[in-house]
Amino acid sequence: MRAAGITLISIALTCAVIGNAYYQKKQFYPSVVYITKSNPSMAFFFQVIYIQGLILVFMINTFLRKIFFGNLRAAELEHLVEKAWYAVTETCLAFTVFRDDFSPKFIALFTLLLFLKSFHWLAEDRVDYMERSPVITWLFHLRVGSLLSLLFGANLTMIQYAYDSTLAKGASVQLVFGFEYAILLTVVLNITIKYVLHTIDLQSENPWDNKPVFLLYTELIIGLLKVILYVTFVMIMVRIYTLPLFAFRPMYYTMRNFKKAFHDIVMSRRAIRNMNTLYPDATPEELAAADNVCIICREEMVSASKKLPCNHIFHTACLRSWFQRQQTCPTCRLNILRPTTNTPGTRPQNQPEAGQPAPQPAQAPGANQHGQGFQIPSFWANWQAPGAAQQPQGQNNAPNVPLPPFQPLTPGGVPLFAPPFPPMVPLPPVPTPPPNLTTLSEEELRAMEGNMRQAVEARIETLQRVQLLLDAANAMMNQYQTAAATANIPVPTSIPTTTSTAETSQTKVPDLSVIKETASTSAGESPASSSNEPTPSTSRADNETRDEQEMLRRRRLQKFSSQGTAE
Amino acid sequence: MITDNLYVNIMAGSALRRLMAEYKQLTLNPPEGIIAGPINEENFFEWEALITGPEGTCFEGGVFPAKLIFPPDYPLSPPKMQFTCEMFHPNIYADGRVCISILHAPGDDPMGYESSAERWSPVQSVEKILLSVVSMLAEPNDESGANVDAAKMWREDRPEFERIAQKLVRKTLGIPC
Ligand SMILES: [Zn+2]
Ligand SMILES: [Zn+2]
Repeated sequence: MRAAGITLISIALTCAVIGNAYYQKKQFYPSVVYITKSNPSMAFFFQVIYIQGLILVFMINTFLRKIFFGNLRAAELEHLVEKAWYAVTETCLAFTVFRDDFSPKFIALFTLLLFLKSFHWLAEDRVDYMERSPVITWLFHLRVGSLLSLLFGANLTMIQYAYDSTLAKGASVQLVFGFEYAILLTVVLNITIKYVLHTIDLQSENPWDNKPVFLLYTELIIGLLKVILYVTFVMIMVRIYTLPLFAFRPMYYTMRNFKKAFHDIVMSRRAIRNMNTLYPDATPEELAAADNVCIICREEMVSASKKLPCNHIFHTACLRSWFQRQQTCPTCRLNILRPTTNTPGTRPQNQPEAGQPAPQPAQAPGANQHGQGFQIPSFWANWQAPGAAQQPQGQNNAPNVPLPPFQPLTPGGVPLFAPPFPPMVPLPPVPTPPPNLTTLSEEELRAMEGNMRQAVEARIETLQRVQLLLDAANAMMNQYQTAAATANIPVPTSIPTTTSTAETSQTKVPDLSVIKETASTSAGESPASSSNEPTPSTSRADNETRDEQEMLRRRRLQKFSSQGTAE
Repeated sequence: MITDNLYVNIMAGSALRRLMAEYKQLTLNPPEGIIAGPINEENFFEWEALITGPEGTCFEGGVFPAKLIFPPDYPLSPPKMQFTCEMFHPNIYADGRVCISILHAPGDDPMGYESSAERWSPVQSVEKILLSVVSMLAEPNDESGANVDAAKMWREDRPEFERIAQKLVRKTLGIPC
């Protein structure tokens, strides 16, 4: 609509310029000569022509978008705007290097590039959306298929053009264009592969377990291609012009993605191999003992399921796709890639329990000392206070800072850390499982006692853990103190995020019905509420909102009960 | 109706099936003060939620609408959550996006949370996310810099923070301030 308005205005302006010339010269040919000879009117004329050209391109773009995508979803539009912003700024940066090449043709090429890019982004979003959309129509396949081949052709043509032009005229801004189109070519390739994989997945009735694996490998290969392209481009640019700063942001992201894809593949392969070789299939008894629901898909476990070293049971298929992302137990976050066999000496017997039912060999500390390497008991983990969550991290990261020990726990002069808060609240010791010495062999006992480097390291590690727990406890006590000090208002209950559903449903959350009651009782009072005693429920709007919610809920309930009967 | 459901059930990936299960659970047994469900039932990957401000806090009485966008590989990846009303809170970005650890997978670390225990994993659910958001409303984490101004005000000028919060509460209820 707006585009149409601008078009009309620009056409009117063109007519005005020509009309003015014609009025002065009374003939067409001289008037054209007049326009081209008089500088201001000529410049104006060309500007109008450019604007018209741009508008034409915009309209073609909108038209094509309608054909290939129909109406855009809100999320797609958001992505489009966000990416366009980066693309424009980066290209503008790029063209500061090529100031001399600046010309109308150049602007036209740039606009074309931008539009082609936007089509790539949209195509990617659409293909990603395939997984979420329950129904894929033939129109969708037709659109995506033709669009992908069109983009493929366009990219190849533009690369060819850039190549020829560079050969003929030497290095110019065409280098940047050629490179951009080469990157776009990899993008099209990536989208096409994804599209094919999703289509195959949709054709079969059962979920296709291997699809994520293919997707991971696709990402890896495309990532590698992109990295090679970027490195080549930067090298060429450095040799011919200068350091291409504009390419650094995308290059950084490309390299990071590549590294992540590589890491993911290595880790998930290892985890899945562990799963297939080391972990036993769950027996029917074990399934019956657990509540028989796979926590990943929330469905009953009747098909193949595996038991992890931490005794948690999942569908084999669910576990496999989870391991492609992370190599931990979904329930207790036990890192399953930690070495499962340790020499007895490195394993401190009295380390604090890591929030799981039974001590497992895999839980013994490996070299990995922070992050997933060590898990504080769930009581501490659930607690979301701001201060302490940060505190132990800092200490863990810098274990070698020698600070005066605040508690001489060992004669060995182990570097310990001053407590972060001066007042030390005495706490009952964290219960530790007593070492079962009788079951250890001579050798193991000796190794435990030994002064070898491994043993010392293990001891220090254990001490650091004790330290960490103390810090957390300390911070929590402080938190309670401040809360108690400022508690004129009732202290809001914090809701643990990782407890079971049963617990959370009992946890205190605002009671809708109570609010509703206060709303109805206070409805008669004066609407002018004072600031220190907020009574926001003095309006009917409040009640209406709640009624709406009730309606919504009831409607959904009905829907479900009807679904239940349908099945 | 029946054919529709059959079709959906056949086509549905595991993400869709789990979202439907969670929706059913939330509808049959809703936690108090929280309502959530798909915006329209053609698309189970975009939900809306209404969250009541927790009692005894400056957000008490407010009804805050938010939307949740689920990734195709849910529950392996966390959803994104964004308030669709105006919010002023240390852990909520100016555009309404919520920044709490449960919505981040271990590894991506916008705010430098340490413990992976409170991060996203398939154990979590929409219900747990929303309950976490309620507790976040009650107890902001002023170390996360999603909204630096709000965090600063929460620390240094609590009365002003509460005044703004009350203004927002009234706004969500459609009461002129
Ligand atoms: Zn499962
Ligand atoms: Zn486990």
